[in-house]
Amino acid sequence: MPRMQRAAVLTDIDAEFPDSPMVLTLGGTAREMLTVAGRKPNHLVNLDAMGQTVSIGLGIAVGLRGRPHGEKTVVVEGDGSLIMGMSVMSTIGLLGPQNLVVLVLDNGVYLATGGQPTASSSLDMCALAMACSWSGARSVSTRDELLESLHWAAAEPGPTLLHVIVSTEQIATDYFLEDPVILARDFRGWLQNSEAGVGVSTP
Amino acid sequence: MRAEAERLAAVLDDRSRAVIDGVEAIDPDFVIHLASSTLKQVLHHFIDGDGGRGRVVFAMPREEEGVVVAAGLEIAGRRPVLIFQDNGIGNLLTALLTVPAAYHIPLFGIVCRRGGLGEYNSMIHTISERSEALLDAANVRWFQLDARIPIELWAPEIHRAWTFSRTTHRPVLVLVNLMGG
Repeated sequence: MPRMQRAAVLTDIDAEFPDSPMVLTLGGTAREMLTVAGRKPNHLVNLDAMGQTVSIGLGIAVGLRGRPHGEKTVVVEGDGSLIMGMSVMSTIGLLGPQNLVVLVLDNGVYLATGGQPTASSSLDMCALAMACSWSGARSVSTRDELLESLHWAAAEPGPTLLHVIVSTEQIATDYFLEDPVILARDFRGWLQNSEAGVGVSTP
Repeated sequence: MRAEAERLAAVLDDRSRAVIDGVEAIDPDFVIHLASSTLKQVLHHFIDGDGGRGRVVFAMPREEEGVVVAAGLEIAGRRPVLIFQDNGIGNLLTALLTVPAAYHIPLFGIVCRRGGLGEYNSMIHTISERSEALLDAANVRWFQLDARIPIELWAPEIHRAWTFSRTTHRPVLVLVNLMGG
């Protein structure tokens, strides 16, 4: 069975969490999300560097504890970047944010830099998450499994990890050259407006 | 010799208290720390003592992770403070420059000095005494509290430095010498 295409997975992630605070890892993941979902103020792009995206999301999730409606903070990470900052897995287990969902799109390579292999083929990410006292973890490789597990991650108290096996296929995208100051300003503005009940401003 | 040890212990007590008072004046809701024997009194206050009440206090496994988690907390409107040792400055530079500095997110850290007069570790100076140079090269704003600064000014200076991080939308570190230098 062919592996899922990352851009298609990102489309499903955006459909499941259209108005949730979301932190996107750098490179093709962020660019493909911009291509399939457009520029959204609830999406914070980590432009650089690897190993940070989950930690940013952890800080946001813990900082947003108590927000209404069971809102989840969603992190979309890659396997290489997760491995670079893997100590955060234990910090997440320690802090136990129920509003955190981490989606790891695992293509087994550092795709943006030419496809050098990561260590993910020998890593059981779900076992790691559970060993770090996360609430739940699943690995999916088909679209049916993905859709069902996205619902599960949206509903279940976290922290939850969804390990999504994807192909190395990429769609054509432009570089994303936005000033990070504007990204942070837009995201913080969206957080404040959505908290105040002004309403989310996603297109 | 004994008198000198007692003098240094008293210095450590007084300066640790001043750092605690300065951080308390900030009234952070999150205190993120990394192990340090020099900071033992300060960390004890927040981990086991009164300073932990009503706050989330936790250890960062590495400085760069703490920096980025704190940046996320700041984005979410919280008031984190980082507390760690200067031999970890090298670890955090990429994170500091690519997240809070790049996104203009205020961030505040207390960094205790090592490797100077009174040091008991024969190696730590190889990184610690380059702290100022590393931070300058990275264009990270820092202030220093040591024997040249009257102890009664330490706590207000810490609070002013925290305010300065908000005013200038960037990371600001206060280097504190608790070892007598």
